[in-house]
Amino acid sequence: MAATATMPGSAEKTAAPGRPRQAKNFKQRVLTPYAMLAPGIVLFLLFMAAPIIYTLVLSFQQKKVSGLGLGKGAQSTVFAGFDNYVRSLTDPEFGASVLRVLTYGAILIPLMLGFALLFALLLDSRRTRAGSFSRTAIFLPYAVPAVISSLLWGFLYLPGVSPFHFVADKLGIALPSLLNPDLIIFAIANIALWGGVGFNMIVMYTSLKAVPQEIYEAAKLDGASEIQTALRIKIPIIAPSVVMTALFSMIATLQVFAEPTTLRPLANSLSTSWSPLMLVYRDAFTRNDVYSAAATSIVIALATFAISFLFLRVVQKRAFGQEN
Amino acid sequence: MRRSFRAGAVAMIAAAALLTAGCSTGSGTGSAEQNTDPNQKVELTYWAWAPNLDKVVDLWNEKNPNIHVTVNKQDGGDPAITKLLTAVNAGSGAPDLIQAEYQKIPTLVAADALVDLADTEAKETKDNFPEGVWNSVTLGGEALYAVPQDTGPMAFYYRADIFEGLGLAVPTTWDEYAAAAKTIHDADPEAYLGTFSSNDAGWFTGMAQQAGASWWGIDGDAWSVKIAEEPTEKVAGYWGGLVEQGTIDNKPMYTPEWNAALNSGKQVGWLSAAWAPGVLAGNAGATAGKWKVAPMPQWDAAKPATGNWGGSSTAVTTQSKNVAAAAKFATWLNTSPEAVDALVKVSNIYPADTEGAKTALTAAPEFFSNQPDFYDVIGKAAQNVGSFNYGPNVNVAFNAYNDQFAKAAQAKSRSAFLEAVDSMQQVTVEDLKKTGFTVK
Amino acid sequence: MSIPTEIREKPSYLSTGILIIGALYCLFPVIWVVAAATKGSDELFSTFTFTPSVHLWSNIVELTAYRDGVFWRWMLNTALYAGVGALLSTWVSALSGYVLAKYDFPGKNGVFKVLLMGVLVPGVILAIPQYLMLAQLGLTNTYWSVLLPQIISPYGIYLARIYAAASVPGDVIEAARTEGAKEMYIFNRIALPMMLPGLVTIFLFQFVAIWNNFMLPYIMLGDDTLFPLTVGLNGLLNQGATAPALYTLVLAGALLSIIPLVIMFLFLQRYWRVDLAAGAVKA
Repeated sequence: MAATATMPGSAEKTAAPGRPRQAKNFKQRVLTPYAMLAPGIVLFLLFMAAPIIYTLVLSFQQKKVSGLGLGKGAQSTVFAGFDNYVRSLTDPEFGASVLRVLTYGAILIPLMLGFALLFALLLDSRRTRAGSFSRTAIFLPYAVPAVISSLLWGFLYLPGVSPFHFVADKLGIALPSLLNPDLIIFAIANIALWGGVGFNMIVMYTSLKAVPQEIYEAAKLDGASEIQTALRIKIPIIAPSVVMTALFSMIATLQVFAEPTTLRPLANSLSTSWSPLMLVYRDAFTRNDVYSAAATSIVIALATFAISFLFLRVVQKRAFGQEN
Repeated sequence: MRRSFRAGAVAMIAAAALLTAGCSTGSGTGSAEQNTDPNQKVELTYWAWAPNLDKVVDLWNEKNPNIHVTVNKQDGGDPAITKLLTAVNAGSGAPDLIQAEYQKIPTLVAADALVDLADTEAKETKDNFPEGVWNSVTLGGEALYAVPQDTGPMAFYYRADIFEGLGLAVPTTWDEYAAAAKTIHDADPEAYLGTFSSNDAGWFTGMAQQAGASWWGIDGDAWSVKIAEEPTEKVAGYWGGLVEQGTIDNKPMYTPEWNAALNSGKQVGWLSAAWAPGVLAGNAGATAGKWKVAPMPQWDAAKPATGNWGGSSTAVTTQSKNVAAAAKFATWLNTSPEAVDALVKVSNIYPADTEGAKTALTAAPEFFSNQPDFYDVIGKAAQNVGSFNYGPNVNVAFNAYNDQFAKAAQAKSRSAFLEAVDSMQQVTVEDLKKTGFTVK
Repeated sequence: MSIPTEIREKPSYLSTGILIIGALYCLFPVIWVVAAATKGSDELFSTFTFTPSVHLWSNIVELTAYRDGVFWRWMLNTALYAGVGALLSTWVSALSGYVLAKYDFPGKNGVFKVLLMGVLVPGVILAIPQYLMLAQLGLTNTYWSVLLPQIISPYGIYLARIYAAASVPGDVIEAARTEGAKEMYIFNRIALPMMLPGLVTIFLFQFVAIWNNFMLPYIMLGDDTLFPLTVGLNGLLNQGATAPALYTLVLAGALLSIIPLVIMFLFLQRYWRVDLAAGAVKA
């Protein structure tokens, strides 16, 4: 408390209201910013906060029927307490799906950020040619919706229609199908890598561009090689960008849905509960049980929040500290 | 077949008694307020996915300026029902009419999504349809939840040229089918007589139906689930054995890979239904004239039977404000000669209307122009379709089929197939109990 | 000053090579879809997939004929959802980010953190309750049902806050105030143009996010003349068991749908360099 009282800006809050100057000050200090934030806040409340609260309400209910459940009024909605949560948390399918996305993230995130960083550094290097062609080409997949990219890669994976398998067959090599159960996780990670590496590359590249050139000149005069410059100067400078891309990649990983859903009908190796969000979708839409789906949703959102919060705490000062 | 049919009918009558008892007080509640002015111009929306259905509906709109129907094209089968159930939960957003597959009807009735058409002219269409089909839209009771549109009596499609080349006879029993599968796979290790598809629960259901299964039943005031019983176990064990031997493929149907195999002749046969010509023509048009149709292989050649895969009905939703007009349209669409004829010609469906099927289905489809008696084969199959009862959680059972049989097909072992049947039964029963249905 | 040095620098085959391999990996499926979209339905499954054929035009004609040209409706709808949606979203994000960066008021950090938490909530989860709520207003199955929920973008606000902090100097705002300018006037006429390069980035982010969002329109819309491309093309694939999946049409449609985005990206790409760089230098 003592610390906040000495913060600049808090003095106004404690000043006695009433005098005209202060009234104007109150208007300017509080009402104006909130009025200007109103569109954002109202939309947030309507389309994010309210749905989340609605989901919370649903998660404590369940459908109950009596007897055969046919005919009017045979179904009703009742309070369920924590039943849905208990079922969700003890469901082995949910546990398995969480483990799967964690493995998936452990494969995808290092690869995606590693390649993004490598490409960004290469683009930034003065000795690289064809930079603008490569930058555009690598960024291009970001524009392709996941539903479409998964369909394209699905064609490229299926042994019966894949050009890779066609060529390998001609050469007499037996390629394993990427859609086999032990490889499918890589098949999905590849689609996400393809779609995401360019975006992350651009984020890192733009922060590299922000570094004043004099720093490099100085390093060069000191006799540092390009690799040394990259490792000792560039990477530390863009570390905040890398951290933020890591955070957003983690969130996206936990929410993986479109890629496995599109690939699922092509093979036997993906279940309808492969990822946590697929499980939510299955419960809500295939099984018509929005209540269980709501509880699982809340669990996923809380888990995502916990992970991100821990992560943000570590980096918060570096990411948000330079304002004002 | 007859025996199980009668058992089904008994269960249905029991259900009917209950339903009428339960409903007698509540009729009218849950339905939208009705427009009663007969001269008012009415706009109806119709969610459907049958190809070119809008062209058939155009015929109606030309003649009926006061009842205008707009078709909203949906993704096939499941998504439309999912959306309808969401709209019913939300209390608004549902269309007036919906194309509903037969297995969806109990689920929709349980969710109070469909209007009882027993008081409308749709009731008069009873004699237009086979008894088994009529049962699936009445759930065996006095209520009428939809007007049947099409059915999918199953049959065996095969590449006549490849069979001839190998000197193979068309299999009439499942033992012969297994032998033919082995011959074909031995002759070309990349070729298969068929594939076991974990994606197509309706397909497997049809085959279980042929073997005499009926997965749900009503026993007094309780549901019974009879998936893990002899007929279904027999079918699953048979296919598990073939997949384990490797003489039948284990990959899903309807993938680009499957399409490629149909084109290249690596899929030599397809156990499908009356609507198969449209799919084959779309996926492997270049193989036209090389395919033939035959009755399904039999478990007991003395008692020919077949199953049903696909087929749907036209239902009116509880959010419709113009039930009478909607029922009038549904009746016209599925029983008037001009509409049934158009359904056959532009939408490629096999009509449920018995008379309509006879008059509209004269010439073989273009893809089967090499087989003039195409519709004789299908017509005979249609008479051998047994009764099959669906329950209120077909979606859960079908979803369990997808997941459990995907694992089994991947494991390629007969025992895994049998375990998958047990899992389906368990998941289905648990879901019913969880929701509070009485389960015997 | 640094340009002459750049020219003197020796090209490195290794780094150029690695970058080009990366580029080819990313272009590979795109090249494939170009080849595949030229094939007729028989060829698609029977010939080597990279052999181009001559049916591109007939595929496009067939796609155009499908349900009386509904595909082009989907294109227009997508332009509307993503274009108008992203514009509105950018303006709201810019305004919110500007206020959060440039004003000091009680509850500021709290508001920012709560808004930012929205990043963590998956769209799949929001779609169902959003549907149930919009249904109460009778707004499902309308353009609004897809447009409105996607205007709010926590990520956009987060970025806008960074851009505003970096590119709008506080003394400029003070100067305008002293001259008696209204707050919204300052934002629209002074701050917004200063933030513009960064806002292009937000616009692109949001454009791609809306364009990529499958679940919301999939649930909200029943009438296929309102569909965006992703939902429409998905429908061509999922025709149900009784009809063939229209793969050739889908691939031609996928190719056609990528083209406008590629053009937009090429056109707007130079802004990607300016924005963050300029901002960070000033900060």
